[in-house]
Amino acid sequence: MNAQKDQNGFMLLFVGMDWHKNLSPEQTQKVSENWMAWFKGLMAEGKAVAGHPLGCEGKTVSGKNRTVTDGPFAEAKEAIGGYFLLDVATLDEAVEIARQCPGLPFGAKVEVRPVL
Amino acid sequence: MNAIEMSNNGYLLLLQSNEWWKELGREELEKHLAQNHGWIERLMTSGKATGGQALARSGAIVSGKNGRSVTDGPFAESKEVIGGYLLLNVATFEEAVAIAKTCPCLALGGTVEVRPLTNTCPSAARLEELKREEQLATA
Repeated sequence: MNAQKDQNGFMLLFVGMDWHKNLSPEQTQKVSENWMAWFKGLMAEGKAVAGHPLGCEGKTVSGKNRTVTDGPFAEAKEAIGGYFLLDVATLDEAVEIARQCPGLPFGAKVEVRPVL
Repeated sequence: MNAIEMSNNGYLLLLQSNEWWKELGREELEKHLAQNHGWIERLMTSGKATGGQALARSGAIVSGKNGRSVTDGPFAESKEVIGGYLLLNVATFEEAVAIAKTCPCLALGGTVEVRPLTNTCPSAARLEELKREEQLATA
C-alpha cells in the first residue's frame, strides 16, 4: 500500500444510505450514535476538520443544458450519505480511520480520496 | 489545517466527471482549469463557498466488517467519479442549484450533485419522526 505524503488531507465519502435496512430502529440509533461519537473523537484529536451527514434530498445538474433533475442517485447503496475531511498525512492513516466506520459491518463503504 | 467553520445550513456540491479532460488539447485544458479555479475563487471570496477542493483519482475503497477489504481504487469501471467538492454557505436549495449551474465542468459534460448538509443522519431523523408519531398515536 502507498504511504505517499499528502499535505492537503483526505476526504472520506460514506457510500450507501441503506445500511440500516435490516436493522431495528434501536440498532440504527446505536450505529448513528457511534458514528457521531466517532466523528467528535476525530475532531477533538484534530484528525477531522469537517464532516456532515447529507440529507436524502438532492438534485443533479448535468450537461451543457444544465438540466436539473430531482434526486441524485439511482440506488440507495450507491448514494453518498456523508463526508469527513481529514487532516492526516498519508493515505494509510486515512484508510485506518476509514476502517473504524460504524456503518461498515452493515454494508456501508468508505471511499478515501486524497485532496489535491 | 484549522477546523472549518460550518453552519449546518449549507449544501455540498459533488462534481462528477467522466474524464472529459482526456479529450482536450493543452490550450483548452489550461483555459478550463483557469475557469474552474476562478469560479471557486469567486465563490470563496463572496463567502458563498467555505471550502472546495479537487480530489485525486487515486485513493481506496474500504468495505466489510472492520474495513477488512481495502481496494486500491477507486475506479475500475466507474466512469462517473467524484473529481471535486464545494461546500456552500447559502440558505436555500434554489441558490445552491443556481450556483451548481455555473460550474464550468458542465459545459464539458460533467454533472454536479447538490445535497443539503444536515445535523443528523437521515436514519436518525427518521427514527425521531417515528417516535413522535408513536407518541401522538398514544396521546
